[in-house]
Amino acid sequence: MNKKSGVTRKQEVWGWAFLAPATILIFVMSFWPMIQAFIMSLKKGPAANMVWQEPLFKNYTRILQDKTFLTSMGNTFLYLIIEVPIMLILAILLAQILNNRDLKFRGGFRTMVFMPCAVSLVSYALIFKSLFATQGLINSALMHLHIISENINWLGTTGTARAVIIMGLIWRWTGYNMVFYLAGLQNIEYSVYEAAKIDGANGWKTFWGITVPLLRPVIVMTFIMSINGTLQLFDESVNLTNGGPSNSTITMSHYIWNQSLGVGVAKFGYASALAFVVFIMVGILAFINLKVGDTRD
Amino acid sequence: MKKKLLSLLLVSAMAVSVFAGCGGGSGSSDTSDTGAAEESADAGEEAEAPAAEAEEETVNLGGTSSDPNTLTVAAWDANFNIPALQAAEKAFQASNPDFKLEIKEVSASSDVENAVTLAGSSGDMSQLPDIVLFQDHYIQNYVKNYPDCWQSLEDSGIDWNDFGAEKLSYSTIDGAHYGAPVDNGTSVFAYRVDILEECGYTIDDVTGITWDRWLEIGREVKEKTGKALMSMDHNGDDLPYMMMQAEGQSQWKDGKPNIAGNDTYKQIINVIVTGAQDGVILLCNDWTEYTDTSIIGDQVAGVFNGNWIIPTIEQNEAASGKWEITTVPTLSGSEGYAANGGSSLYITGNCEKADLAKQFLAYTFGGGDGAMATYDDALRNGGVITTCVSASKSDVYQEGVGFFNDQAIYSKIVDMGTHVPTIEQNDYHYDMRELVGNAITNVINGGDIDSELENAQSELEFRMEE
Repeated sequence: MNKKSGVTRKQEVWGWAFLAPATILIFVMSFWPMIQAFIMSLKKGPAANMVWQEPLFKNYTRILQDKTFLTSMGNTFLYLIIEVPIMLILAILLAQILNNRDLKFRGGFRTMVFMPCAVSLVSYALIFKSLFATQGLINSALMHLHIISENINWLGTTGTARAVIIMGLIWRWTGYNMVFYLAGLQNIEYSVYEAAKIDGANGWKTFWGITVPLLRPVIVMTFIMSINGTLQLFDESVNLTNGGPSNSTITMSHYIWNQSLGVGVAKFGYASALAFVVFIMVGILAFINLKVGDTRD
Repeated sequence: MKKKLLSLLLVSAMAVSVFAGCGGGSGSSDTSDTGAAEESADAGEEAEAPAAEAEEETVNLGGTSSDPNTLTVAAWDANFNIPALQAAEKAFQASNPDFKLEIKEVSASSDVENAVTLAGSSGDMSQLPDIVLFQDHYIQNYVKNYPDCWQSLEDSGIDWNDFGAEKLSYSTIDGAHYGAPVDNGTSVFAYRVDILEECGYTIDDVTGITWDRWLEIGREVKEKTGKALMSMDHNGDDLPYMMMQAEGQSQWKDGKPNIAGNDTYKQIINVIVTGAQDGVILLCNDWTEYTDTSIIGDQVAGVFNGNWIIPTIEQNEAASGKWEITTVPTLSGSEGYAANGGSSLYITGNCEKADLAKQFLAYTFGGGDGAMATYDDALRNGGVITTCVSASKSDVYQEGVGFFNDQAIYSKIVDMGTHVPTIEQNDYHYDMRELVGNAITNVINGGDIDSELENAQSELEFRMEE
């Protein structure tokens, strides 16, 4: 009896000893800055000598009147609603196709679909920018094919600029999500599919009856990650369109950046408050997602 | 349930740590992001949120040197201001043979400006060099917010009357001079005289005219040659600022935006909108499109900007000898003078050799004994034009320039610079530029000009209150 609890205690001590370095690092590098950012969000003035905001939560009430931030929020949610479903459906379909054992050059195709993820966000945004420039490749190709008669100002018009950003996002992230689905699919026993086949289920039924339910944890995870990622969208907005035309493509993170280190007068306190609002949004969305996606209890 | 809470916490941590990094002014903490995400991912795959990679690298400006005869300086343009600094080093070595200037080259002016913001915000100036070069619009804001970062040039012995008053108005705070002027921001309106000729006009026909007349000529040029008469980077649209300055007015009045209900301003915005709609003014989406596509790509018959745009114009060698410069049209039809951009050198709070730095600046850029040698070489090697009147008396400044049809453009620019009216400046210059640019876009797309200017004004006032 005595001896057993001694062993348990020993195990516990070692467990904590192994956990401690990572825990301390996460606390110091991640949670401590979070607390500091919250304190900063209640302050105003130049960062070198900030003073408390009066009233204390003024930075937060100010957000509600900030038209540019509301615009950026609208833009971000627009990207979210359009881009995430398209991307995830494409990813799951591609994963399904590339999981087929009879497919030749599977490895090659998988690499190709995943390849965009190896490209840095900034470089791909700049490449898209030059492709869609007024005198860029897309315009001259369309002109030579006689599809358009005048150069389209892709990045200078609200609708097309948003479409270009969404296209870019889909190109960049579909392969990334596909890899998760592929890994999930490979964990599903092939015999399950064979059994379904024997029972006479067609491809569509197999997909909805077997693949989707068994992939549910992976789908929930990719959803949370995509929502989280889209809410923090930054590089595309900065590098592709610089938020233009007339702030119609600016994202929340880009606006936060503008408020702190971008052009104009730095407002670190207000930027921190904005960041916390985004944090709460991500938290709420992730919670809803977990609630919907989890059927265990 | 417990597990759910844990994963929620971890997902949130992943999200906020990125923003916490942003808000605190440091880069995002990538390691902890991945760590948190990894644990929340059931599959145990390496996970990374898309925007978690969104980090901006902070440029290290290198700090100071331990050698007593060496000064360090940060600058960004190898074709423009770096040759000017090298010229100054050479000139100063004539009287101080041991002197050395270590130039830290960064890729854009915003690198210097970000580094200053970070040093000022954190109070850690150790990475700042002795002297930094940055754009004039920032210094008022910097001295106000980070007073310890700067050392005034009051006792340096520079004769300030030797410089264009408009240039100095930026870097003079409460009567104290902080900056040693390097280049000259005077705006030029350059025209392709061969294209004007094709349409039956000379350079005199576009000098001292009203904007309405200018638009008429522009429409004719567009119709006959397909070229616009001017282009501008609409993402950082400097036209309203320069056009107002040519009218002798500011977009600011007593520290407040002066755009809504301002009749002159409305007329100016109308000129830009009409020009854009008629294809006379080409509004580009970004800087590269402005310089590379519109100017070097030969789509325009005119260029209106600070004279630092001249090296860009000169890159289209096929047009050599076909350009000439003149003054700016105005609403009344008198000759307008404006300025845009330009930068100055500032001694930082991190500089322990302030006496040497002041001596160096006064001797070279400040109009001292080495000024002519400095500015002559700066012009020859970098196309940097001075605002220092005495230095512009040198022979190099009087020479005709082949690219500009043998016009003596440099002395003309220095002379034009003395006419530029000094107008009220404001820390929120760049916010104004952004919001007015948006207003112009909206009016072009059919918005009502009065309500758009009204919106821009109220949005700007909103941003200015804390």
